[in-house]
Amino acid sequence: MFEQAARLNRRRFLKAVVRAGAVLAAPYVIPGTVLGKDGGVLPSERITLGGIGIGNRGTYDLGCFLQESDVRFLAVCDVKAARREAVKKMADAKYGTTDCATYRDFRELLARPDIDAVLIATGPNWHATAAIAAAKAGKDVYCEKPCTKNIAQSLELAATFRRTGRVFQGGMQRRNLPQFEFAVELARRGKLGKLHTVHAQPRGMATSSSGWAPEEPQPPREEVDWDMYLGPAAWRPFNKKLLDGFNFEKGGGMVGGGVLEWGSHCVDICQWANGADLTAPVEYDPPAGGRAAARYANGVNLVLRDDGWLALGSCPVRFEGDMGWVETGDNGDIAASSPALLVGRGAKIPGYPANNHIRDFLNCVKTRGQPRASADVACWSHIACHAANIAIFLNRKLKYDLKKHEFIGDAEANRLRSEALREPWRL
Amino acid sequence: MPRKRFCVLCAALFAGAVSAMAADRACAAARPIAAAEQQGYTGGSEKAPLGTLQSADATPAAKALACKQLAICGTKAAVPALAALLGDEKLASWARIALEAIPDPSADESLRKAMGKVQGRLLVGVINSIGVRRDAKAAGGLAARLKDADAEVASAAAAALGRIGGPAAAKALEPMLAAAPPAVRTEVAEGCVLCAERFLAEGNRDEAVRLYDTVRKADVPRQKVLEATRGAILARGAAGVPLLVEQLRSTDSAALGIGLRTARELPGPEATDALAAEMARMASDRQALMLVALADRGDSRALPAVLKAAAGGATHVRIAAMGALERFGNATCVPVLLEAAVESDAELAQKARGTLTKLSGQEVDADLLARLPQAAGKTRQVIIEVAGQRRITAALPAIVRCAEDGDAGVRGAAVEALGAMGGAQQAADLVKVLRKADANEHAGIEKALMTISGRGGAACAAHLAPLAQAGDSALRMIALHALACAGGPEALAAVRAAVNDKDEAVQDEAVRTLSTWPSMWPEDALAAEPLLALAKSAKKVTHQVLALRGYLQYVHGTRKLKDDERLAKVNAVMPLVTRPEEKRLVISALGTIETAGSLEMLVNFAADPALAGEACSAIVGLAEKKDLKGVSRQQLQKALQTAAEKSKGAPKKKAEDLLKALK
Repeated sequence: MFEQAARLNRRRFLKAVVRAGAVLAAPYVIPGTVLGKDGGVLPSERITLGGIGIGNRGTYDLGCFLQESDVRFLAVCDVKAARREAVKKMADAKYGTTDCATYRDFRELLARPDIDAVLIATGPNWHATAAIAAAKAGKDVYCEKPCTKNIAQSLELAATFRRTGRVFQGGMQRRNLPQFEFAVELARRGKLGKLHTVHAQPRGMATSSSGWAPEEPQPPREEVDWDMYLGPAAWRPFNKKLLDGFNFEKGGGMVGGGVLEWGSHCVDICQWANGADLTAPVEYDPPAGGRAAARYANGVNLVLRDDGWLALGSCPVRFEGDMGWVETGDNGDIAASSPALLVGRGAKIPGYPANNHIRDFLNCVKTRGQPRASADVACWSHIACHAANIAIFLNRKLKYDLKKHEFIGDAEANRLRSEALREPWRL
Repeated sequence: MPRKRFCVLCAALFAGAVSAMAADRACAAARPIAAAEQQGYTGGSEKAPLGTLQSADATPAAKALACKQLAICGTKAAVPALAALLGDEKLASWARIALEAIPDPSADESLRKAMGKVQGRLLVGVINSIGVRRDAKAAGGLAARLKDADAEVASAAAAALGRIGGPAAAKALEPMLAAAPPAVRTEVAEGCVLCAERFLAEGNRDEAVRLYDTVRKADVPRQKVLEATRGAILARGAAGVPLLVEQLRSTDSAALGIGLRTARELPGPEATDALAAEMARMASDRQALMLVALADRGDSRALPAVLKAAAGGATHVRIAAMGALERFGNATCVPVLLEAAVESDAELAQKARGTLTKLSGQEVDADLLARLPQAAGKTRQVIIEVAGQRRITAALPAIVRCAEDGDAGVRGAAVEALGAMGGAQQAADLVKVLRKADANEHAGIEKALMTISGRGGAACAAHLAPLAQAGDSALRMIALHALACAGGPEALAAVRAAVNDKDEAVQDEAVRTLSTWPSMWPEDALAAEPLLALAKSAKKVTHQVLALRGYLQYVHGTRKLKDDERLAKVNAVMPLVTRPEEKRLVISALGTIETAGSLEMLVNFAADPALAGEACSAIVGLAEKKDLKGVSRQQLQKALQTAAEKSKGAPKKKAEDLLKALK
């Protein structure tokens, strides 16, 4: 009742506040002028881009990249011929040329010295392996989420991008959407009082397996490179039903599921709100009553839940402090315990466009700074999701040692921290 | 993953040779959470999966998933069966999943032995697993493999040695920086960098520096040189500053890039001082990049240099400097920023104002507050704007005075700031200002009053109500808008009175305001009674329609009434509902009233082709509720049959599905 009242009142209130002023400043944004007229570490340079695994989501991302005047897309790699050709057509049409190169093996694309950065939008099976390979080849990386398949990959991702000095942006674009920024700022600046609970909606908590489907005749490698598609996932025969979607993010097929798929968004935002970008919860409970819970070392609770959200669109998050709460989601609205909290919220952007997030990445390619969903940020938010998944899978409470990166006193859980990659792939 | 696609996958898995365990888990993902909670891993022994591995009859699929189970529960006993699969092209990757996870040393031993048995990609896989397990006993064997004719095997060995680290690994890798063929050298260099990293982590700084420097000078790919350079700078600590500065001065963009990155990482005051000094010497384009790096460092030791950069020079450099001030600036930055905030360059001025808003510290508030009385013109305007943005409530009395300043810009800024942070007292002040203001300033004051009223609520109503009786009808309209934002009984009474205003335009606005009066606030339910009265007997038809709509929205939204009470109110108003637009509002309300009566009314509405779509959707929505009070199975069936017959698309399918479930 209280929640609904606040929301409805807000509808009227918003008419009144029309840009009352952005009191809660967004994090530091680099103005375009700082980067020089044409951009680039040397201002005359454009950012040259390659694409790896450009399906539906990747095509959307690529569309955002192509809108940026300082980006030149040079090449696409995909294991599917149809995708290679479709993306080439898209890029060539944009530039009025026939120059966009196509590759079946991403290593050939990474070997090109004229490519600065890559967009990785394969299935999650490949994300970490390809991103790490790209960094080692000297490329900056925009990588869709979930960025990793397990805790070990998360740590390796962060370590590699530190070591190589390359820029990484995980596809958690809500980090650059105003309603999430605003809600996070309320939490981080103490406007809600002492923060005690952050809520995320992972949309399902079942752990799942991708298994082994019946063998079907394998198409020619030029048409579909099944071996490359499987990549680091354990071997299994060709089956066209496994050819789309997130089939191998669980590797051989043990721990996966909704906590990771959507949690990499909403848990990530909760981490941000809690000032926990470089940490993760230390205790994880299995689900009970439709909710799974975790606790940070600072005492804040992370609740993974599907129930009881206000109607603010997909991927909702809610932050509760001892003086108030705020909730937001993909429809761009924000609800709060008090209308006063909403003053200065700025423009509403419904949906979850990636333009700002991609611009953030491109700016950092030039400045060599860290984007909002850097490899370190992605590492920790994914660890939180993986650890929660393991607690759900094992159906028991777990404690996590943040320094040793191991579950305390639980050998089975520790075995689920990593998984061997199929030969010849390694991180 | 979209549910539909996942279900397709589940179906495929069911059709295939999938173990019962895997199939259960895959399908569980499509179940509700409550069901998923019931099944999770409950522990298990290795007996069954090990038996599967050892069975001649087991399919490859069964063996693969047995390997997965052994990754969790396998022991030393499972190692021989797993090791036997390392030469199997289909199952080796599955076997290594278990072998990498089993902690027993026998797993290491089996992998070491396999190094001498398998070849090609399978050997690469075995070596990779040895690297993951960091098996130091394998260092000798791996060192020998560095010279393998197969470049992939040699590269894997180099990578594994890097992961294992230590003097033996470094000793094996270092000479290969020169000796290895180009195809292998990249991994050798990487192995060396990893070894150096580990030396540093273990406290052997000198050896780390030496190894990093060796890689830096080797003929290896540029990226590896950059990594080694970064490592060499960080490993040296403060002594790494010259090498860092060398990168920042380089004409090579890659070197500059690693320098900029490392400038953010190298800790210590010496580094900050050197970087700030270097920034001052740089050309403007690099200066801007360096300022962004200094901002990321967040060390206020750089403040004097950054403040100087903000005070003058190229615009983009000044803007970058202000960005850094946002991170670590303080009250000493206020004069420079205030000057910049009134410069003619719009972007620069905007950035300066933004930076003033973001500077942290109460001393910044105090400084701005102290400057306000002395400031004039544009500077005064900026201070007021910033005070509003920073929510400096102590400045409210001074800002109220500025609302009647001789400068229009100052007046506008003052009104906006009052709107941003004022309370009931400032609502009263603004009403006074409004009465004296020119008409062209009414809009700004109205917006501020609405903002304050929305925030302050009913406490503002007492100050606004007299305005609703002002002589100027334009002021009375403003009062209505602000009162609607304030809400509460007093505001409602004022708006109700305005329904009989002498000016017809004010009457119209009053009815419009009343018709959108929210019904969720307990005190706002009072709007229902006047709305009903207007719906029945307003003189103007438009007023009747607006009032009826408002009333129906109240019935729809109120949580104070029980379902049967809401239904009674709908029935009572039905004689007034004649147009399709209002009928749709009725349907919408009925869709939230979980009673037999509402279901019956919806069935009747479904008979009208113009309303069937909405009515059928509402029927389906109600039918999905678990506890429909007083609804017989027969009535529900009849309603769903109507919905299935009269609707199309998703509601029709849903109705059919619900009918099937009912049967």
